[in-house]
Amino acid sequence: MKVSVVSRSGREVVKGGIQLSDDAKVADLQEAIHAKTKKYYPARQRLTLPVQPGKSGKPVVLNQKASLSDYCEKGSGSLTVVFKDLGPQVYYSTLFFWEYVGPLFIYPIFYYLPVYKYFGYEGERVIHPVQTYAMYYFCFHYFKRIMETFFVHRFSHATSPVSNVFRNCAYYWTFGAYIAYYCNHPLYTPVSDLQMKIGFGIGIVCQIANFYCHILLRNLRSPTGSGGYQIPCGFLFNIVTCANYTTEIYQWLGFNIATQTVAGYVFLAVAAAIMTNWALGKHSRLRKLFDGKDGRPKYPRRWVILPPFL
Amino acid sequence: MAAALKRAYLAVYNWAVFSGWAQVLYYAVTTLLRSGHQDVYAAVERPLQLAQTAAVLEIIHGLVGLVRSPISATLPQIGSRLFVTWGILWSFPETTTHILVSSLVISWSITEIIRYSFFGTKELLGSAPSWLQWLRYSSFLIMYPTGISSELGLIYIALEYIKASEKYSFRLPNAWNYSFDYFYASIMVLLIYVPGSPHMYTYMLGQRKKALSKSKTM
Repeated sequence: MKVSVVSRSGREVVKGGIQLSDDAKVADLQEAIHAKTKKYYPARQRLTLPVQPGKSGKPVVLNQKASLSDYCEKGSGSLTVVFKDLGPQVYYSTLFFWEYVGPLFIYPIFYYLPVYKYFGYEGERVIHPVQTYAMYYFCFHYFKRIMETFFVHRFSHATSPVSNVFRNCAYYWTFGAYIAYYCNHPLYTPVSDLQMKIGFGIGIVCQIANFYCHILLRNLRSPTGSGGYQIPCGFLFNIVTCANYTTEIYQWLGFNIATQTVAGYVFLAVAAAIMTNWALGKHSRLRKLFDGKDGRPKYPRRWVILPPFL
Repeated sequence: MAAALKRAYLAVYNWAVFSGWAQVLYYAVTTLLRSGHQDVYAAVERPLQLAQTAAVLEIIHGLVGLVRSPISATLPQIGSRLFVTWGILWSFPETTTHILVSSLVISWSITEIIRYSFFGTKELLGSAPSWLQWLRYSSFLIMYPTGISSELGLIYIALEYIKASEKYSFRLPNAWNYSFDYFYASIMVLLIYVPGSPHMYTYMLGQRKKALSKSKTM
């Protein structure tokens, strides 16, 4: 069959189109486009069906594993796809590694090295036990995240635009430094021993729970990464859609109860807002997909992210 | 019914804030002619504070969907205006006799008079005359540079007073392990203007292109 590849403005991206066998898959088309255009490797391509004039709504994105014939206009042996360049891409694992490795090194810099001299604080620094535990806790958290990135998570879209590396690293590294500055400050005021224990206790329990949530999510996806959505179930997922975000938020709350810095709470608020945004999207996607029709199960009533609030 | 209510509310809002800015411009010019630039702030302070602070409503309008403006454009604009109005001029009276105050309020008021009358007319009559639309999408070409320079200048002038006064600053140690230094925060604001101003200017250039080409094809 003949596939013509056009840009969103109508210009032909591959002159003369591409000839493929009738049983070719979308992935074969992507390889062919890459071969013809050299710089657009498949991860950079976003292929959609042209939107019918007069119709609104989002264009249909071609599924990499599907057959091209699934998208053909009925009967005809030809297909037009709209191409968008997503820009240079990096693997999600690359992106996550760089965003998490920053805090892992930045926090100990404030703990071990005499940084505060340069802020005008001369002299000996007394280190409270809570500051030591906080450093281990914080660093373990980001170490855990890196390990999960390489050994636990199964990613749906394999790549992310390169610009996200800068944006995400700025977010994590700046907040890491912001929190580390206050937690390790020579004039730091610790909370009571009991409060510290309660805080770290909550944090550790939630980190373990969070890890278990990630294992459960991993097992929803097959190793070949065939994608697709499943209804998450088991453990906390039975009552809240994004239990992984829930445990992450409560884990940071534990850290903040133990260390009590405004910087930590600001980070908690921003992180919670970002995760809530994601959770609302995921929850509504799952509810739309699992609508109970055509033999599909109906998505059960659940909290979105933070019982008892949302 | 809801659409008519929305139009009525927006019409009232736009014309009310318009009259505030008209007062600012009037008092500024008459004071300049009658006495001098050092008295301009005292003359415009009340209508300026009222009209500028009312703009907070515009963030809410955008959030609830009453108007289409993206929050990425309105938030930095209103943020910088409120910072200069309250965080610099009102908080540090030593800055208010400077001539940059005159260039500031004249730039702001001319821009806003055009902008609010444009939107106010659209809400009342359904559309605005093309000369007003042209003004709304062209005045920024001059007013943004003059306004932004005045804002930057006044923030910079205020820095020595901010540092000396320790106002709005918290020091360690305290139970919440928090500190805030208004002096360094103000310097950060100055730095944000470096990427922020081109962002706002090119945003308006894009809006201008869209708006003025649309009216040509009509």
